[in-house]
Amino acid sequence: MSELLPFAQRPIPAAAGIGLRAPHIERVLTERPPVPWFEVHSENYFGAGGAMHAALSRIRADYPLSLHGVGLSLGSADGLDLQHLATLRRLVDRYQPALVSDHICWGEIGGVHLNDLLPLPCTQEALDLMVSRVQQVQDALGREFLVENVSSYLSFRHAQMPESAFVAELVRRSGCGLLLDVNNVYVNSVNHDFDPLEYLRAMPHASVREIHLAGFTRKDQLPVPLLIDSHSRPVAEEVWSLYEEALALCGPTPTLIEWDQDIPELEVLLAEAGRAEEKLHACRAAIA
Amino acid sequence: MPAAPRLHELQQGFADAVLGRGDAVAAWVDGAGLEPVARLRIYRNTVANTLTAALRESYPAVLALVGDDFFDVMAERYRLAHPSTCGNLQHFGSALAGFIEGMPEAQTLGYLADVARLDWLRQLTALSADAEPVDAARSAAAAVVEPESLRIGLHPSLHLLRSAYPVLTLWQWCQAPSGAAPGMDGGGEQVLLWRDGGDVAMALLDPATFRCIEMLAGRHSVASAWAAATAVDDEFDLEPCLRDLLAQGLIVAFIDEESST
Repeated sequence: MSELLPFAQRPIPAAAGIGLRAPHIERVLTERPPVPWFEVHSENYFGAGGAMHAALSRIRADYPLSLHGVGLSLGSADGLDLQHLATLRRLVDRYQPALVSDHICWGEIGGVHLNDLLPLPCTQEALDLMVSRVQQVQDALGREFLVENVSSYLSFRHAQMPESAFVAELVRRSGCGLLLDVNNVYVNSVNHDFDPLEYLRAMPHASVREIHLAGFTRKDQLPVPLLIDSHSRPVAEEVWSLYEEALALCGPTPTLIEWDQDIPELEVLLAEAGRAEEKLHACRAAIA
Repeated sequence: MPAAPRLHELQQGFADAVLGRGDAVAAWVDGAGLEPVARLRIYRNTVANTLTAALRESYPAVLALVGDDFFDVMAERYRLAHPSTCGNLQHFGSALAGFIEGMPEAQTLGYLADVARLDWLRQLTALSADAEPVDAARSAAAAVVEPESLRIGLHPSLHLLRSAYPVLTLWQWCQAPSGAAPGMDGGGEQVLLWRDGGDVAMALLDPATFRCIEMLAGRHSVASAWAAATAVDDEFDLEPCLRDLLAQGLIVAFIDEESST
């Protein structure tokens, strides 16, 4: 099969990578910047062929790669979309990424997709469903899968546990890895008025395989503070501080800079990754 | 207070709120200092913006022709009439051309649906599977097969569009719209799309050549394609048509029906 390219195993190092988006692909191909690893959105490569795949094959040959999904809709009360899962499986077989992930959320009901990372109620029912879905995905892919905590702008009255307990229990029971989005923890701590450090302490630190960092925007002129996970700005100072706490708890962990709206020059992302790298270095030094 | 909703009921209610079909689910949303519906509205706006952005990306020439305001109104109506049915947004706009044909405001813009078709085919062309062109030895072997029993496998990226309007000329004008838009008096155009390296390429075809490739793409024999093209134009010459397809790497298989049955 010509599709099964013989890629060497390239584990993701405990270093700061960046999310590779379309505007930067050409420069990465020609300049080969010294980025320790890249992550791409899985669904952007769901097409069968063409230039996107040609580029990703070249990048995968030279850099460790992580596939990060936004469309699996793990937490939908309807069953998983098996066609989506099969396409993901083919993509995983093709590129043999070091990490594969999606979100703790839902996005489809009754055949209608809302194409967003929608919040689950933190109930026993939703937890049980997520555990079985993550196990189904890990069985289908034949490998460890990572789930990411999402930002949310509302919570449900009938929640039965805090979000941190929901996430920790999901990871423990399903045996998956955790993609800890530190920005999302901070955004939710403001939106839902909890202590972000307490949240971090409640995480299963040995299962954290990757950390995400991104920028949020602030909704003004509301009676309560509200942050939106816009991925359109530099990482906020409060999030950098929380990232240091996360590293202290988890140890040096692969870290990704995400930027999806108003995407700046590659240098801006490299500078953000450089700042994360400094904190990773400090973390390593503290351990040594 | 009624019993807490099961997950399916909650998600259905949430989807209703996001799609503007009613806010009953707000009863289960913790307002925490805001109206619950205000919190739901954040999601409603995000979903709308994401889907509209996906259409803008898929339909750049339509956007250039109609402008932001018209496009956004069209996008809103489209996403309510044709909700997304896939976790992959690359499929979301598949029905837009037909939807445009049904829009009262677009009745005087007959060409718009075909420009949308061309935008969409460009996306399909870009994302189509890769395939290896046939080599010289295969071509030489095919040359001695009777046209009646020879079929041609075309590259998956090859697409065709026949329009009663000058659709490619319009599309090209949209890339740098300035001055007067192209007139509609020149008649229709037939467009061939394919992937050349990584880029989407397009070319105008004469009606007979278009008919020939259309027949080949429909898995008809070379003889049938030739006959159909000759019916359009009795001067049609098969050889340059096949030679061009070969030269562009668009022939990926020769299928000899005699030897394969």
